[in-house]
Amino acid sequence: MSARVSTSTAVLIAALAALALLTLTYGQIALPLADTLGALTGTQSTDLARQIVLDIRLPRVAAAIIAGGALGMAGVLMQALFRNPVADAWSLGLLAGGQLGVALTVTAAAFAGPAAVSFLTLFEGPSITLAAAVGVAIAALAMLAVGRRVGAITLLVIGLMLGFTSQGLTSVLLHFAARAGGRIYGGWQDASFAGVAPEALPWLALPILLGACAAVATAKSLSSLLLGETYARSLGVRVTALRHAVLAATVLLVAPVVAFCGPVSFVGLIAPHFARALAGTARILPLLPLAALGGALLALSGDAIIHAPWEQHFLHLNAILAIVGAPVVILILIFSPAVRQWR
Amino acid sequence: MLDLQSLTVGYRNTRGAVLSGIDVSAAPGDFVCILGRNGSGKSTLMRTIAGLQAALDGAALLDGEDIASMRPATRARRIAVVLTERQFNPGLRVDDVIALARQPFTGWQGGLADDDRGAIADAVAVTGVEPFLRRFFSDLSDGERQRVMIARALAQTPHLMILDEITAFLDLPSRVEIMAMLRDQAREKEQIVLLSSHDLDLSLQLADSVWLLDDAGGFSVGTPDELSRSGALGGAFDSGAIRFSPERGRFEIGTAESLAGETPDS
Repeated sequence: MSARVSTSTAVLIAALAALALLTLTYGQIALPLADTLGALTGTQSTDLARQIVLDIRLPRVAAAIIAGGALGMAGVLMQALFRNPVADAWSLGLLAGGQLGVALTVTAAAFAGPAAVSFLTLFEGPSITLAAAVGVAIAALAMLAVGRRVGAITLLVIGLMLGFTSQGLTSVLLHFAARAGGRIYGGWQDASFAGVAPEALPWLALPILLGACAAVATAKSLSSLLLGETYARSLGVRVTALRHAVLAATVLLVAPVVAFCGPVSFVGLIAPHFARALAGTARILPLLPLAALGGALLALSGDAIIHAPWEQHFLHLNAILAIVGAPVVILILIFSPAVRQWR
Repeated sequence: MLDLQSLTVGYRNTRGAVLSGIDVSAAPGDFVCILGRNGSGKSTLMRTIAGLQAALDGAALLDGEDIASMRPATRARRIAVVLTERQFNPGLRVDDVIALARQPFTGWQGGLADDDRGAIADAVAVTGVEPFLRRFFSDLSDGERQRVMIARALAQTPHLMILDEITAFLDLPSRVEIMAMLRDQAREKEQIVLLSSHDLDLSLQLADSVWLLDDAGGFSVGTPDELSRSGALGGAFDSGAIRFSPERGRFEIGTAESLAGETPDS
């Protein structure tokens, strides 16, 4: 690993730790840093501080870091797999596909009866994640099939349209599901890290950890694929197997985020560009930690902004991410040397 | 040693076999030029030898091993290719492109060891791509890209190098320079170089051996001298507008008289 990558990694970790600490201290009730640290380490602290930090803010901050990191890594994988600098789980409709998977499952359970709903509720974490995974995988396969026929920007437009379609269907389905008594996932159509309960954190983190391992394992071969399929084969890569592995890694990284945090936009699209600029290379392995940290930083920043001590809680995560993210994407499309070929 | 044993290349669809029953071999250090008109099967033959496309029949053996049944990782250590297709990820920089040639030799992380860096430095030096190492590959001119791809293939330190139409985008001095460099590399490193080209004059001057494909699926092998004397070169390329002159050893544009003389019946 080059000095450039390790220095950037260290700086990002420090920035992320500082931001996490800041996010833990402030909010509707500001806590002194000493109390926050005390609550975290289990030493001296007030009960109130401990409750606020450990039960309310820490799960949210952890969810933002884990989900942001997962989306950043998934963005690196997808941009390489689709050979498309604006590919990510959100822009190509994978997140919306996952939502639709969850909505279908919840609706089916709602109409099947209370037993199915209570079963679903009992195993909420794994069952919702699995439903999301199926939706994400189907959306990804569809986009891969389309991606062979169209150019990069067309694929982006199709992905966004597929996303709108899925989200429309999701909202209709959840409406009927709520009527039929399956009101499990109300208010989840907006992205948020606040809804992740402490006991749900392992269900969020575990598949993402597996996905991260798979991403690291495929990184070397995926770097060869940057040269195109034929050159990758000439370098000894089994391209079909690689595609499947990368797809599996992407699903593992993305599905839990959809299931627990909803459609978090722009993070996975921007983080890889950020990582490439820092690393000075397009090779996959050095990009993964940088994109994960960058994604986590971006997601946590968005979360920190909406949970600042405003008069009332009025900001949505995706609103903040769109205000920051959309202009960045426009800049990438216009100025990035990496997109020049497609302009 | 590269041995083609009654190799038949082509497609398993209506296009069928393009070239049939090819028996030929090339020794380490040989600089082989594959000549033929568009559509004569040069690329198909090269892709098949490289193991990127299945042969319809027969086999291509490198150092006694069937290339098609080699493990992909083993094959990647022995054969490097430069192809006409370019579908690159636009985020790649030139140094990344060249370093990726070492992937078959590196560990699971793809980190470069000293001998990897040495192979890359050698390839960079002989191809003269040093000035644009940090630029984006997609920003280069066509000629610069060709140099980078040749550097990438050299950095793979193969036993067999297969280069398809690499001189197409280069100016004349660069073509001469690149082809002469490849011939010298072949001799110095005991590599077999297979190169297809439309640059007949240059190929005939530099090649140790020529594989000549004519439009009818015919295949002839020989030194440039043998092929020009036997009339095979003329057979493969002569048309109304161009004619191979065995006396001068090069192609000449047909004049009105010579064309009239060649086709007295019309």
